[in-house]
Amino acid sequence: MSDTPGGPPRQSVAPKWVRGPQDFVGGIVLMGVALFALWASSDLQGMHGFTFGPGTAPRMFAVLLLGLGAAVMITGLVSEGPKLAHYSWRGPLFVSLAIIFFAVAIRPLGLVVSGFAAFLISALGTPETRWVETIIVGICLTVGCALLFPYVLGLPMPLFPQFLVR
Amino acid sequence: MADLFHNLILGFGVAVSPVNLMLCLIGALVGTLVGVLPGIGTIATVAMLLPITFGLPPVGALIMLAGIYYGAQYGGSTTSILVNIPGEATSVVTTLDGFQMAKQGRAGPALAIAAIGSFIAGCAATVLIALLGAPLTKFALAFGPAEYFSLMVLGLIFAVVLAKGSVLKAIAMIVFGLLLSMVGSDIETGASRMAFNIPELADGLGFATVAMGVFGFAEIIRNLDTGAEMDRELVQQKITGLMPTKKDMMESLPAIFRGTVLGSILGILPGGGAVIASFAAYTFEKKISREPQKFGRGAISGVAAPESANNAAAQTSFIPLLTLGIPPNAVMALMVGAMTIHGIVPGPQVMQKQPDLVWGMIASMWIGNLMLIIINLPLVGIWVRLLRVPYRLMFPSIVVFCAIGIYSVNNAPVDVILAGAFGLVGYWLIKHDFEPAPLLLGMVLGPLMEENLRRALLISRGDWSVFITRPLSAVLIAAAAGLLVLAVLPTLRRKRDEVFVEG
Repeated sequence: MSDTPGGPPRQSVAPKWVRGPQDFVGGIVLMGVALFALWASSDLQGMHGFTFGPGTAPRMFAVLLLGLGAAVMITGLVSEGPKLAHYSWRGPLFVSLAIIFFAVAIRPLGLVVSGFAAFLISALGTPETRWVETIIVGICLTVGCALLFPYVLGLPMPLFPQFLVR
Repeated sequence: MADLFHNLILGFGVAVSPVNLMLCLIGALVGTLVGVLPGIGTIATVAMLLPITFGLPPVGALIMLAGIYYGAQYGGSTTSILVNIPGEATSVVTTLDGFQMAKQGRAGPALAIAAIGSFIAGCAATVLIALLGAPLTKFALAFGPAEYFSLMVLGLIFAVVLAKGSVLKAIAMIVFGLLLSMVGSDIETGASRMAFNIPELADGLGFATVAMGVFGFAEIIRNLDTGAEMDRELVQQKITGLMPTKKDMMESLPAIFRGTVLGSILGILPGGGAVIASFAAYTFEKKISREPQKFGRGAISGVAAPESANNAAAQTSFIPLLTLGIPPNAVMALMVGAMTIHGIVPGPQVMQKQPDLVWGMIASMWIGNLMLIIINLPLVGIWVRLLRVPYRLMFPSIVVFCAIGIYSVNNAPVDVILAGAFGLVGYWLIKHDFEPAPLLLGMVLGPLMEENLRRALLISRGDWSVFITRPLSAVLIAAAAGLLVLAVLPTLRRKRDEVFVEG
């Protein structure tokens, strides 16, 4: 992803002439997204006489976003604004890991295993987790979801690991 | 007039069928249940619960979703009053006097008046929808592609102007959303756009996926920043005496009516003004009150007015969706998503071809409001207990529930990962003070705007002036331009910021 948060969050990084680092960086990233979109849609056909090609609208919006991003950036340059906010790593990391694990595991391992494991992984996202209660709640939630989605709502999905079912 | 009654009777006929009543009840209950959980706003609630309606027939699904929506809103008011945490932007002002009342041991009357106010507002809004539905639909049928395009521009501008925060950044978010909506196959040529040969992207980014990412996951990650133990000043007093006194009623009734009128008007605007409606209603009450010093110290009309206003606006915002097919806010955008999944393209045609669906939903809104008042007042005790669930247990549950929900939409693991990625994007947006709601709106309107723009230009043989030479379109574009100019003018901007200053 070109637009995931990155870079050091400390405000001391921003030079003095940037008066609103939050908007300044925000605008630059939006411009980056726009440039990325321009590149990604560059292989598409553009205007064809007076009819739109598939690439016309994406490029139009990308150029618009480029301009708006630049405007936001300039706002950050010329007017006093908030500093960069502080990012923490623990929550985003473990919540993302849990989501990725679930996505990878749902097909081969089924809802019960991947759901419960994802629950435990995301619980690592805060130092305040108490493991006994977390495990109990995790079991209850997994059982609840295993009943709710496939049976009550009729949305079919694998429940148990494939090698066990076979 | 006869038409109106005929339509309403048709609607109630659909809505009171046992199955639909059940769905409405379940929706309202589950919506409140999730809406009460701290840290989950209305949009996140609707996004989270979207998958559970997929297995239902279209009418049932929409009725249940509508139930979830106003349930979630009511849940948001409950947390505002009891723990001083607004579930969402529309109930920010409710915290001002609601929480003070709760501190004085009057949480019961505050909750009751919020429910009663919402119900009265809901009744008025239902009638208004029924009244305006048919004529607006006829009006909409006269629209050509140029007019539609201009109307959508106006709607988006309204959404920006009526929202809180920087106009420029909100427009940037809309365009970002428009750009995201371009991912996938081109409607006319079928060419794959910005999909990088990922088969799951060939159909475009699902917006249940994006919504759950930027509203669900991002919120969770953000809340973890401040520490799982959010600073919650839960009111410890036992809630006694639910019913407001006669004096309370006398004080709040006029406020409810004023809030309803204000909310209904602001809700119809294509920008969907539930947020501004609640702020404006509060400011207005404070201005005309004989004892303005009481506001902020537990004035009951300070709860009644904004709660009625936001509920009225929430319901009348269905009008642009049902008649014009244009979602005025992020929640309505999700409704469009739900409709599309059921193969319904919202707009004037739906009103004509599937009247049972539209009127059934409208009637069920009224029933749902009634249910909220009946079921929620006795259940306040349970909601209070739910508020005590620690966040450290709640957030992993939400993560897993959302992950399963997204997976169930298309049975696609890639969707889950995309939602996770959008969670990080949303976290970044929050950190840079970009509102995610306009992004979602842009994403929903993107394909519609492109299609109408293309068709308009095809009809005019590439002549861009078509948008200003067709009178109706010209009026809409002029209104949008005027609005934008007004919004950036210093005097009006100050006025606008004043309305929001209470939060």
